[in-house]
Amino acid sequence: MTAFRKHLEFLHRTDDCRTLFRPADCSPQVIAAEGLRAGGPAVEMEPGTDGEGTPTATTVTLASGVYGGIDQSRGQRTTDSRHRQRYPWTRLGIGLGIDQDPAYTDVLESLLALGERRDERDVTYVERAADATAQDLRELGLPTPPDEAWPRFTLGLLSIGTDRGSYWAPIHGTVLDGNTIRARVPTAVAERDLLETGTAVTIALGVPPEALAATHLLAITDRLETPIEDRGVGATVPVIPTAGGVVPSSAEVVIETTVADRQPATQSEKREFWERLDEGTTLTLESDAIFTRENPVVPFTPLGVPLSDDLQLAALSLSATLFDRVNSYWGVSPVDWLLLPAEGRLGLCIVASEILYAGFEWQLANLLFSLSDCFDKVLVVDTEISPRNLGRALGDSWVKAHPSRDWLVSEPEAPSARMPAYGRNGAGDGNRGEDGDSDTGARLYVDATWDPRWTDEFIAPQVSFTESYPPEIRTAVHDSWAAFGFDRRPLIDRERDP
Amino acid sequence: MTTPATTFREFLTVLEDAGALTEIETPVSWDLEASAITMAANAADERIPVFEFVEGNGRAARLVGDPYRGPRGREFDHLARAFDLPKPARQSGPAYYDQLIDRLEEQREPTVVEPETAPCKEVVRTRAAENTDASAIGSANTNTDTANPDANLLEFPWPYIHQQDGGRYATLTTLVAPDPDGEWGRWSRHRAMIHGESRASVLFLAGEQLPNRYYYEYERRGEAMPVALTLGAGPAVTAASEMWIPVGRSEATFAGGLQESPAELVPCETNDLRVPASAELVIEGRILPEERLDEGPFGDYFGYVNGPRRSMPVLAVDAITHRDRPYLPFCVEGSGVGYASNSTSSMQVAAAGPDATLGLRAAGYDVAMAAPWPYTERTVWVIATDRPYPGALHELANFIFTTWGMLHIDCFVFVDREVNPLDSRAVLEALALHADPATDFHQFGVERMPKVPLNIYQTPDEKGSAAVGTSKSKTAKAYIDALSEGDRPTQTIGDPKERRRARDLLAEAGVAGVAAEVDAMGEPHSALDQEMDATQHPQHHQNR
Repeated sequence: MTAFRKHLEFLHRTDDCRTLFRPADCSPQVIAAEGLRAGGPAVEMEPGTDGEGTPTATTVTLASGVYGGIDQSRGQRTTDSRHRQRYPWTRLGIGLGIDQDPAYTDVLESLLALGERRDERDVTYVERAADATAQDLRELGLPTPPDEAWPRFTLGLLSIGTDRGSYWAPIHGTVLDGNTIRARVPTAVAERDLLETGTAVTIALGVPPEALAATHLLAITDRLETPIEDRGVGATVPVIPTAGGVVPSSAEVVIETTVADRQPATQSEKREFWERLDEGTTLTLESDAIFTRENPVVPFTPLGVPLSDDLQLAALSLSATLFDRVNSYWGVSPVDWLLLPAEGRLGLCIVASEILYAGFEWQLANLLFSLSDCFDKVLVVDTEISPRNLGRALGDSWVKAHPSRDWLVSEPEAPSARMPAYGRNGAGDGNRGEDGDSDTGARLYVDATWDPRWTDEFIAPQVSFTESYPPEIRTAVHDSWAAFGFDRRPLIDRERDP
Repeated sequence: MTTPATTFREFLTVLEDAGALTEIETPVSWDLEASAITMAANAADERIPVFEFVEGNGRAARLVGDPYRGPRGREFDHLARAFDLPKPARQSGPAYYDQLIDRLEEQREPTVVEPETAPCKEVVRTRAAENTDASAIGSANTNTDTANPDANLLEFPWPYIHQQDGGRYATLTTLVAPDPDGEWGRWSRHRAMIHGESRASVLFLAGEQLPNRYYYEYERRGEAMPVALTLGAGPAVTAASEMWIPVGRSEATFAGGLQESPAELVPCETNDLRVPASAELVIEGRILPEERLDEGPFGDYFGYVNGPRRSMPVLAVDAITHRDRPYLPFCVEGSGVGYASNSTSSMQVAAAGPDATLGLRAAGYDVAMAAPWPYTERTVWVIATDRPYPGALHELANFIFTTWGMLHIDCFVFVDREVNPLDSRAVLEALALHADPATDFHQFGVERMPKVPLNIYQTPDEKGSAAVGTSKSKTAKAYIDALSEGDRPTQTIGDPKERRRARDLLAEAGVAGVAAEVDAMGEPHSALDQEMDATQHPQHHQNR
């Protein structure tokens, strides 16, 4: 388990986080959004001395881009400090304790393990680290987005305690005053009589990456009905009971609340990305007690912008789920990797698979369409393409797939996809009507794999360092690389997912 | 105040001053090694290698690996430096396009210099008379090296680029050919596979202007087409050779515009053509009628080795002139796919893109930018535009498919004019969210259009003998309408002033790259857009 502040420390240690003081004249959300747009490192914003009010021991340090933030569509740039290679899963992989350069599929499998059912509970209880007390939610100094009136928190964990155990779900919301929170939570937990008015629930901010990732994974796969003590995450993250349910002991901020209103009159609320895949609802919560660690640090993300952390958590969670499903379907595991690029906001699915027989690519694409209603486009690539080289996968869709034969559009009689923006009413609402009914639409899959019926003479060798040069030359280039006047390690070493 | 680099050597100085060059004194072989080093440098976004000492060739000639490759994400930067464009043009693709288009609109007539002053005449060698067609030899020369009269292609360290290639290649060339409509000749880029001391096969694909002239005029008359294949002719010449200049215009005048000074030309030794005077090397010769030599296989711009071997027209060498210790630039084709860049992919972004944008505007299409898809060197282009009238995208796509896009390009992706086509994330988002498979993917499956046999998705049978450089079978030329209907998702938050402040803070904190993020998505992405209102834009439908 990685405490959130430890996660941040690891990011600093791998030169992947920058620190600045929070200014009075610029919204942290705007800074975070611009940082994401640059595809830069994570950003930590310490309380400034010239901000609104004087920082106290309970004023939070903010951290953005700690779970995503890498624009993989651009590849690595010369501007990358120390020329480290980072991928959209790198930061979460570090947080999950895999490696500082985690393999993509290792991240997917670690995510899946957090959501696995366990036959026996193995819960560790550890004293709560947040031992300071705040009197007022405003003391936390949560950031207010531009054009909004109230401070907002994101990437939170909701815990609801019951006799059977605790239920965790993602939560985000706004701080209306010193005691009142208007929050968004999955409808699934709100409707299961878990959140009657007067029920005690707890919000934890700055929780371990394992805990936060598990809430997003469980929410988007509609698996919130099982206490977390019976899931992998329950055996991974040490917890402590609170007035609500158990929360991660290392949480930076713990807010014990009571449900005040299950159906408050609200205007349109901004959404975290999990709400595009799982219905959310609004609650009003009254704060009863606020605990923080000393100099608390919490993650946050601007909502709705490209490459945001909530989007990346949803992308990786859904990718992991689909990767598991397709490799559990035919009795064999033909799929090397599966990726929903956050750059495409989950409107596109890329899958690298062995083509078991002619027509398998059709089965694979249509299975994916039936397992998820997010996307209307699937790109199938050969397993020689690494998930680290999204550019090569996207390039293959044009040079390897025949535009007359390998771009295949279905009849427009399929259920319409949720993520695409065309033909919908209003941005951000997905492709479905307000009543939840589906319109129909078409689906496209692109087969950028070699036809298994082709003989070897038809298969064009790839131009690559490995295939274009004999071993002795490759070795000589490596051995003399620095002597040639080059600074960086040859990228060729690092293209393959370990 | 600096001035634009006009010669290849000045361009190398520009790269050196930018810290983008490494001179390798260790002897390196032309036999795969120089290319392997270059491919690795391309993949790592490293310095551009200059091979000062080539095994078997000593210091007689030098190789330069992919000199026109720009830094990743700013593939135009080195050309912006070479042309001495203002700094915003080095940081922002749209700003670069605006500046370069301004240069292209200010064309300048070339000048002709005396052979005695032309660097490319420092060494002059012709072929012995029995090896040349005397009728093809034009102007006399004065600098002939009589001590060593035989021009010999094999004296030069042409790189063997990929181990699957059919031979050694000259790749970063400018082929100069006669122009019946003008006095400066026509320039375009064609690779040549070396077959011996005096012969090479030249990749001539029917559909392109010079090959058309050869196949359908010279060869039909049984005549050889006089040509000059030049290497290292300077950045403006190389950039202009990458452009599709309409009949009746001259690449030489566009090169003059790019470098803000006339291109200096000099007469050839053995024909009436004029070539760039500062070229590192000039191969004068003739494309023979009714003769073919093998060309390929070759690791091509698709990122794959295409085959089988094709039969291509023959270049017979009449003379070779060059500078002392010439630099021979070469491109490792196929290494500019995915994230990596090479000279071809960078030239497509930095030269072909602005030229195409200007050309489409000149044709009356209201195009903000046209640029190649970042992960392939030539196959797909992204065009930022509006849809001014029903059917506009169909008309625009097929207009291009009949002109410069007919052979190499398979698809156009149309995006909102607010989308920067060089912003790969924004383009991917547009494709994923705004292109409806039911209504927005056009002409896929309509197998009616020509295709170069270099592709890898056709079978050898479908490619056929490629007699004039096109496949026997046709292909589809498609386009995708990824324009939004005004429902593009949020790209930025905060007002421009606050965003600028945020970028300043991030830059101060050491977030690399953020200060260069000058073209905000979701905002007008070029100075041109900000300054021109709708009435100032050329409107195609108004011209109909």
